[in-house]
Amino acid sequence: MADADEDAVRAPATASTEPDIDLSDETQDFRFLNHLNFFADSSPSIPRRGEKDFEPNPTELQADVLSASRGAMHNALSYPRLHGAKTRIIAFYAPDGYVPPVQIDRATPKASGEDGKSSESTPKPARPLPNSARISPDACVYVPNPKGQFFKTMGQADSTSRIWLLPEEALYLIERGSLDIRWPSPSGSTEDLSVPMSLQAAYACFMGRGGLTLERYSVYTGLKRLGYALVRAPGWCDDIQQQDADALGSSEITPPKIHGPGLAGMLASLFNWIHDPHSTASTATGPIIGTGIHRSYMDVYRKLAIIPWYDPVTAPERHPFDTTPPFRVVFHIYKPSTPIKKSALPTPDFRIAVVSTRDQTTMPTMTQLGALLESTPLDPPRGEKMDRMMYMRLRHGYRNVVMAVVDQGVVSYLRIADSAFGKEKLYENKGGPQGHKRNYANQKSRKR
Amino acid sequence: MATPVTSVDKPVAIESGPASDARPPRAPRPPRPNFRQIHQFPLPVNVHHVPPVIPHNPLSLISVVLSYLTFLISPPRQEVYSAYFDKATSSIHVTDERSINALWQMGFFGKGSLSRSEPSWLAREKKRRGLHNGKTSEEMTRLRRTERRELKLERARMEKLAIEERLKAEAAARESAPSEPLDQGLQSTPTDDTTNGTAATTEKFSLKKAKEARALEARQARELAAQNETLAEQNQRETSSNSKSVRFSPIVQKKEFLSNSPSSLQLPDSVVDSLDLDDFANEEHLQLSNEEAFFLVYSLGALQIYDSPLKSGEAQPTSPTTTPALLRQFCHHSFQPARDGSASLQPDDPFLISYAVYHHFRSLGWVIRSGVKFGTDYLLYNRGPVFSHAEFAVIVIPSYNHPYWSETEERKNYTAEKQARSWWWMHCVSRVQAQVLKSLVVCYVEVPPPAASVDDIGALFGQYKVREFLVKRWIPNRTRD
Repeated sequence: MADADEDAVRAPATASTEPDIDLSDETQDFRFLNHLNFFADSSPSIPRRGEKDFEPNPTELQADVLSASRGAMHNALSYPRLHGAKTRIIAFYAPDGYVPPVQIDRATPKASGEDGKSSESTPKPARPLPNSARISPDACVYVPNPKGQFFKTMGQADSTSRIWLLPEEALYLIERGSLDIRWPSPSGSTEDLSVPMSLQAAYACFMGRGGLTLERYSVYTGLKRLGYALVRAPGWCDDIQQQDADALGSSEITPPKIHGPGLAGMLASLFNWIHDPHSTASTATGPIIGTGIHRSYMDVYRKLAIIPWYDPVTAPERHPFDTTPPFRVVFHIYKPSTPIKKSALPTPDFRIAVVSTRDQTTMPTMTQLGALLESTPLDPPRGEKMDRMMYMRLRHGYRNVVMAVVDQGVVSYLRIADSAFGKEKLYENKGGPQGHKRNYANQKSRKR
Repeated sequence: MATPVTSVDKPVAIESGPASDARPPRAPRPPRPNFRQIHQFPLPVNVHHVPPVIPHNPLSLISVVLSYLTFLISPPRQEVYSAYFDKATSSIHVTDERSINALWQMGFFGKGSLSRSEPSWLAREKKRRGLHNGKTSEEMTRLRRTERRELKLERARMEKLAIEERLKAEAAARESAPSEPLDQGLQSTPTDDTTNGTAATTEKFSLKKAKEARALEARQARELAAQNETLAEQNQRETSSNSKSVRFSPIVQKKEFLSNSPSSLQLPDSVVDSLDLDDFANEEHLQLSNEEAFFLVYSLGALQIYDSPLKSGEAQPTSPTTTPALLRQFCHHSFQPARDGSASLQPDDPFLISYAVYHHFRSLGWVIRSGVKFGTDYLLYNRGPVFSHAEFAVIVIPSYNHPYWSETEERKNYTAEKQARSWWWMHCVSRVQAQVLKSLVVCYVEVPPPAASVDDIGALFGQYKVREFLVKRWIPNRTRD
């Protein structure tokens, strides 16, 4: 029947449900680093992993392999990382946030940031420029001469083509060694005399700024290193919660929608009544299906449907601010393959909410989780494959969101989908599995 | 099982040639019972189809009318099975052989009290006494597990051999070059501990290879075992008057009988042996969970539940428990220890919540069974456990969404405690489900405010609302494309 070891046997049958062996959980065999050529510009091929030993044994071979691996790691680590003159990017820290560039006639564009900040401390431009509207008030680092691939997905340019970086973007780049951030010079005269910012100082300056928590940064940097592009979602700010939450409490008392048998079911019950006028069906004391003659199992199952269920399709979509932090989408994620235009962002591939287990020790309640999902757009299971495979439809769900659960720096991601089992009437699927699951899939495809 | 990543430079072409010849033909599986025939009815309810009306064949109309007339004259009787409620275990016992079969075959209700799921104790016991051939599912599993364990031992042995070979080769290399300083400690280390590892360059002994190597041997052993078993059973019958051995896997048993050693485990004289071999009672009964029983009674009307065991002689010892009384009884027994009968029914009673989920999935056509073996509340089978593995594992969490539950501070605290599930628990459940290839469904049940009366059961359950969330680990490495 369904024991663990039996289930493992059928693993190759369904590729989509292969067991979760996360290779990133394992300690690496660092010998693969030897095959990487750091000095060549050509993109190196990804080295293969070898076999691994589970226990120490007294052979010299194993000891050799181990020391070779260790040596490879140290070798890779000892490679000097430098700011190359060509790829060097210098940025300036603006502690007061975004400052619109002052008029060209007053100062040179180079020193404008430091000049203007004393007079205009709030990020409220007197004349709204077309670009400046998009620049977040949380941005606090600007790059006067942007170059390189990083700025394809990061930062926002203002009217003088300076790129303003958000705290997490600046921190990611400085940690990566790709950005040289300078303190604002006290005199504001020349940039050559400015002092470079250390990584420690960067953490001190940027962490906690504009809603950036360590948890959010862990998620950001982890996914960024994997090649994803992350953009702040509208739900980033926690501040707007209160009045909206109060409004939510009063407005949300709607009578629950009851999914009865529907029109077809009512017609069927009418026919049943004609068939069987002495029906003893009663939901008050049972039996629900009555004691009369049943014409088919479909009718029996239809009569059994007395428990209301939630329909994600008819549920109203909610504003992101209806959710309760931390169960709120804070990042939109794009796969590396998704082409991104910063000015017109496409629909995100994933939406992610970040939860710290130390602040929120329990799983979300249904209200919190429901609000989180309803703040995402409807993504019904459609497509040629989905139409065929019921399990896949159920797994995909009608809405979905990724929740990053951060426990003291360890991030676990959970994909949560609103799967409506009530929309998949299994009893209508007459054939059912023919002995084995693989046959089941074939049979389904034949049917449709 | 952490199978290491196999190297890519494995000589596939070389291996596939001889392997196809060398691989012994798989031992023919015993023919499976015709499950489609046995389990053709999804519920223990009789259904009488109306003959189809074919427009161009007026005779078909006659057959329809005829079938109606037949039912009018002699209405078919719906089979009602009987069971009794056992207070000690808070479960429903079905002891009648016919009812047991019917409830298992039509809808997979309950489990055998001495079996894994299908009540198969009698068949196993008969086989044990040599009265009956054929394998029960428990024995198949045990056999497979034994085989797998032996294969693993074999693999470990081969790996150990490879390590010893390697050590010898290294020692020889050292002797040929005596200038090299020897590592004494390394040499003197005992090598007879069970090591799993092997040198990376030597080829890994895969489970599959060990299987192949052993298959021939195993086949011979099996023939031998079969002979020995019949022999042993004869022996047992002759010597059963003084001793009874504890049953192990067939292989162990075989060895036990072959060795005939005095150290083999022996039990003192047991009661079983004094019974006649051909005639012994079925000690097993079908055990229904409270949700299953209530579904059968309330929804299908296919079961009657009594308070005490039925005597075979008496026809009706007492009248069966009425449905509302049964609901109260089950609700009181959903607490440990059971509440007394005077306690009022709470809307968040564990039985009410779990029954709402049970009924919901049953009414959609799923075969829903206890998920305790995978650490969840329920498992969902498509059509039944003999047809397919469970695809979904369900955990049930109550939800107090209604404004009634947030009216006072006391209620708020109460519901917060009831809804709280820690992240660690969640991760545990989700990782286990991933390992056994199930999709985890977190099923929230909205709890209504307390009702004035529970006389209308349908209306009571109509207030609960079920919402399913599918929770799966998201692995960013996989979705990158």
